[in-house]
Amino acid sequence: MMADDSKRNDAILMAVLANRMDGIVREMTNTLLRTARSSVINSARDFSCALCTAEGELFACAEGLPVHIFGVQTQAAEMARMHPDLKEGDAFLDNDPYVGNSHPADHCTLVPIFLDGEHMFTATVKAHQADIGNSLPTSYYSSAVDVYQEGALIFPVVQVQRDYKMIDDIVRMCRRRIRVPGQWYGDFLAAIGSARIAERRLKELCDKYGKDRLKAFKSYWLEYSEARMEKAINALPEVTLKNTGHHDPFEPFLPNGVPLRVAIDVKPGEGRIEVDLRDNIPNVECGLNLTEATTMASVFAGIFNAIPSDVPKNSGAFRRVNVKLADGCVVGRPKFPYSCSVATTNIADRLVNMVGSAFSQIDGFGVAEGATGVGVGYAVLSGRDHRYDDAPFVNQLVVAANGGPASNSADGWVTYGLPVVSGLMYRDSIEIDELKMPIIYNHMRLRGGSGGAGRHRGGLSCDLAYGPTNYPVMAIYQLDSQYYAPKGVRGGQDGLTAGGWHVRADGTETALPNSIQVELKKGEYLRGFDSSGGGYGPPRERDPALVLDDVLEGWETIDRARDVYGVAFAGLVEDETLVVDAEATAALRKTVPVADFRVG
Amino acid sequence: MSFTISVDTGGTFTDVIVRDASGKQTIGKALTTHGRVFGGLSESIKAAAADLGLGLDQLLADTTLFIYGTTRATNAIVTRNVAKTAFLTTEGFPDILVLKEGGKLDGYDFTKSYPAPYIPRRRTFEVPERIDAEGKVVRGLDQDAVRALLRQLAHRNFEAIGVCLLWSFINPEHELAVGALIEEMLPGVPYSLSHQLAPIIREYRRASATAIDASLKPLMQKHLFEFEQDIRAAGYKGQILVSTSFGGVMDLASVMQSPINMAKSGPSMAPVAGITYSVAEGLGDNMIVADTGGTTFDVGLSRNGQLVYSRDTWLGGMWEGDLLGISSVDIRSIGAGGGSIAWIDDGGMLRVGPQSAGSEPGPACYGRGGLKPTTSDAACVLGYFDPDYFLGGRMKLDVAAAREAIATIAEPLGLSIEAAAWGIMRIATDHMVKAIHEITVQQGIDPRESTVVAGGGAAGMNIMAIAVELGSDAVVLPKVASALSASGMQFADIVTESTAPHFTSTLRFDSEGVNAALAKIEAELDRFRSQIENAQGAPWRIEYFAEARYLAQVWELDTPIPCGRFTSQADIDVLTASFHDLHERVFAVRDENSPVEIINWKGRLTVELSKKMERSPNADSFRAQAPDHSRTCFFGGDAGVDTPIFKPADLRTGMVISGPAIVEEPTTTLVVYPGMTAEISGAGNYILHTRPEQA
Repeated sequence: MMADDSKRNDAILMAVLANRMDGIVREMTNTLLRTARSSVINSARDFSCALCTAEGELFACAEGLPVHIFGVQTQAAEMARMHPDLKEGDAFLDNDPYVGNSHPADHCTLVPIFLDGEHMFTATVKAHQADIGNSLPTSYYSSAVDVYQEGALIFPVVQVQRDYKMIDDIVRMCRRRIRVPGQWYGDFLAAIGSARIAERRLKELCDKYGKDRLKAFKSYWLEYSEARMEKAINALPEVTLKNTGHHDPFEPFLPNGVPLRVAIDVKPGEGRIEVDLRDNIPNVECGLNLTEATTMASVFAGIFNAIPSDVPKNSGAFRRVNVKLADGCVVGRPKFPYSCSVATTNIADRLVNMVGSAFSQIDGFGVAEGATGVGVGYAVLSGRDHRYDDAPFVNQLVVAANGGPASNSADGWVTYGLPVVSGLMYRDSIEIDELKMPIIYNHMRLRGGSGGAGRHRGGLSCDLAYGPTNYPVMAIYQLDSQYYAPKGVRGGQDGLTAGGWHVRADGTETALPNSIQVELKKGEYLRGFDSSGGGYGPPRERDPALVLDDVLEGWETIDRARDVYGVAFAGLVEDETLVVDAEATAALRKTVPVADFRVG
Repeated sequence: MSFTISVDTGGTFTDVIVRDASGKQTIGKALTTHGRVFGGLSESIKAAAADLGLGLDQLLADTTLFIYGTTRATNAIVTRNVAKTAFLTTEGFPDILVLKEGGKLDGYDFTKSYPAPYIPRRRTFEVPERIDAEGKVVRGLDQDAVRALLRQLAHRNFEAIGVCLLWSFINPEHELAVGALIEEMLPGVPYSLSHQLAPIIREYRRASATAIDASLKPLMQKHLFEFEQDIRAAGYKGQILVSTSFGGVMDLASVMQSPINMAKSGPSMAPVAGITYSVAEGLGDNMIVADTGGTTFDVGLSRNGQLVYSRDTWLGGMWEGDLLGISSVDIRSIGAGGGSIAWIDDGGMLRVGPQSAGSEPGPACYGRGGLKPTTSDAACVLGYFDPDYFLGGRMKLDVAAAREAIATIAEPLGLSIEAAAWGIMRIATDHMVKAIHEITVQQGIDPRESTVVAGGGAAGMNIMAIAVELGSDAVVLPKVASALSASGMQFADIVTESTAPHFTSTLRFDSEGVNAALAKIEAELDRFRSQIENAQGAPWRIEYFAEARYLAQVWELDTPIPCGRFTSQADIDVLTASFHDLHERVFAVRDENSPVEIINWKGRLTVELSKKMERSPNADSFRAQAPDHSRTCFFGGDAGVDTPIFKPADLRTGMVISGPAIVEEPTTTLVVYPGMTAEISGAGNYILHTRPEQA
């Protein structure tokens, strides 16, 4: 813009640059979304882009998935440490769970960005891969006793480009070992393209505003973010929050599940939060261990979910949060060679829930627990497709709704997905799934009366079923939430547990355990219930007008409206003449509520 | 004389352009009347007629073509103020409109409840039937159940019905049968069938389009009927066309059949105008059009003279609103405009928007009780508006109120009021720049190689500042910028599309099936053309596209097919090459080794209505003399600058105005910043240069 460099106007320039940085990360995101090859990236949006500082701080991350993003700064720092001779045109690949990555199936591409010859920023693009060369064809290997059984190809910040040219050795290694090499390579190219876009844009920005101003902006932006986080924390009361959580048992390798506990000290005077996760069990001999990155990410996600604020999510804000971790702990710093194959979902989901709902102990803050469980609606299906010369196929479904948690001001989000993705991911189309795979869906419907009741209601559970149209289809998933339902808070009721059934051709249903690998024959179905979100606040405080709308829409039943919410009606649902009977409702709400009414 | 009248009925103003046989355009503006639209419409035509020295009767009698555009459909969709509509879908899948395709704007925001589906779940009904991906009937349609359902709908007085069954676009048998039963049992109740309206894969998109279309039918059919009645009663005897989301026009009957095509009726015309002015001024046919209103900033594009289309048009916000599902001109809107409110967040940073003061109470300077500082107040404080001659003298501005509002921002930041106002303008400008970057990037277009065309009454406030940030030195502010969409209608062709789904891959290309799909498309477009009165004898063309992607990608690119049919491997190779190039242009990567998959086939019929704008005549450039008026304006420094003010009487073609300067026309104000220039072209448009040496 016009020449105006007066010192006082720097505040305006900072706002302009903040807008630009956000735009650059969005451009990276759009580029990857539209160019990636695997459906977990391009249709489910299972990837995240960010900018870090050269010093290894998370700087800007737009719409990235929390579980991916809050950790890339460590990878950026490691890149600089391991490669002191960084040069323009370099690019690196990292998926090492013991360096700072989320889990091995997330390939993170890092590109150091040089402005006027100085390394100023690092662009990171992290995307979940459909296959990473594990010993089994799954990128979530839950029963792996250690990294050797898991068998992933690991790249500890390995150089993949020099002078903007590909180092083909690495590409050849991947192509040899990864089961869908073409798809992997397409995603890999897309990730590098996305990071290079950031490089190009930052160079343009530097040409326009100069390196010194960008440097000033770097420190300004992190300080600004820190100040906003400090203010958000100062709005909380001084309190210690204790909470527990529990991941389901996995038969046979994790018979007791994983109990979790957390203590959170909120220190408004200091504008600081301290989170202690040291009082947790040691690493488990399966793939469910969290990495340091996903532990930290889940804690930050839980905190950001609980605080109503648009604080920028970056290292500036993180400065106000201390997290105490133990070594060799299931949520903490894992001990080599334990496997962290499933570090981005199951226990991470439970940790996000536990931290976010802990804050609901403060009136008006926090959220209930959201649905967890990567079940029937997230199964990996494989087999042969009779329509394409019996070609083999393997694909992960992303159709679950998994209702979100209620908060102090809103009902649970319907297409929440999982705590670690928080509604950001896309869902498959039924028709696209039936086109890509030889399967047919039997039904997919939200279950009335399934959301955790409350002043605000949890998101509903979805009931769905599908089966093969010809050859048998293999389904693999690792559910959670069959034992421990997502919890309600402040008098809100718990959500429902999830379930999975193998439905035979004659209609008999066999309940399935959490971790399954099942072969479906033609005429058979795999049927599942998502779990549902917990409620916030007592159901009898829910606005009767909202209960009326729920009943008319079929989200609640008349019985639950009366018995759980204490709302009576006149008129009929069928012809939309239903209205709240205010007098009868007042009378009902004076009676003792039914403690824990369940839908049949 | 023979005139063409085009009308763009917006939420607040109705814009009219009257164009005479010589191509001269006259603007008329009036407030929109929301009951019977003809009230405001005739007022605005009268205003234009008066400028031409004619009465309304005379003007209408001398007019041969009338083109109508309106935001009525959009407003109805967004406010859900539509017919009581039943949505019928395959049994087992009642939540298609609820579950949508996922996605959320902010994963950490738990303060908003999930948006209600476009048709309430209580008005969604399941039809016992099922067809599979190959079009095979897995479960026959239960006619008795449908009859029972339709009896219930009749009893409950439903006003419209949308039907979307799974895989109906592959096998329409069941949808057609339901349609026949509706005709039989609920005669006169309008309905829409998904395979006819939007024969595309992805059930939510098809369902959403169908539900929206059906819900609009009673309302829009009545609206268009009344409009026609009123204009005929006023004595108009010529032809009537309606502008549609395709960036073209259609006859009334076709639009009444599928009123969803009016969803972008007005905004889709801005890019049509953009191409017209860019080409007429000799600035090429790669163009970005930026339309600044009071509350929204719309961006559209053209590339090599072609409009850019999208199937991802959301009304009411991405993911959380409703997807149109049909192809329409790609227009991106952000909540930014003269009414955007400036505020300081708790980290001390200056923010602008997304909240808006709207038109009521509006910016503080409107003097209608608004207290919050807005972008318009900033422009007012900076001296860009004449407080006594705003909107051509229709409104007086309260400068003191604007200063007071801006002071609430200036004080905490330790800035002068003028410096704060400058900061607000700068941030507002930057949001607009970001919106332009988002759309150009997604289309692989470099804004530096495109001409920027500005539209909207508030466009001149910062269009040059936007152009500087985009790095574009070719900017046009048409003389009729304040009625840009209405002006675009004057140059629109008849455009319609037909789609046929047929999945195939370059690995095993099914030429026979594809050619059958293309033949079906051609037949349908031929039928359409034969029914349109205006199309007879006019030149026309059909362009074919493949909605294509690399193997296993999910999002398709509209890839032009140069050949009408596939007769040899060479034809397939041309398509493949064309896709690689397009993919590289849009996404900067190509993968020659990957097969290409095609989901849908599309034909776009264009019937040229021969009346393009002529090339702007040459005008000898000369440096403008200082005009009589001047005012103190601010351009970033603390000191005010005595700035020449050009009034209509001061303006001549060929004149080059060097900044700082303000040009005040009755419907638009242009700010020429220091170091930049504005030149008045032979056609009376403003050609803006951000670099002085270019002038």
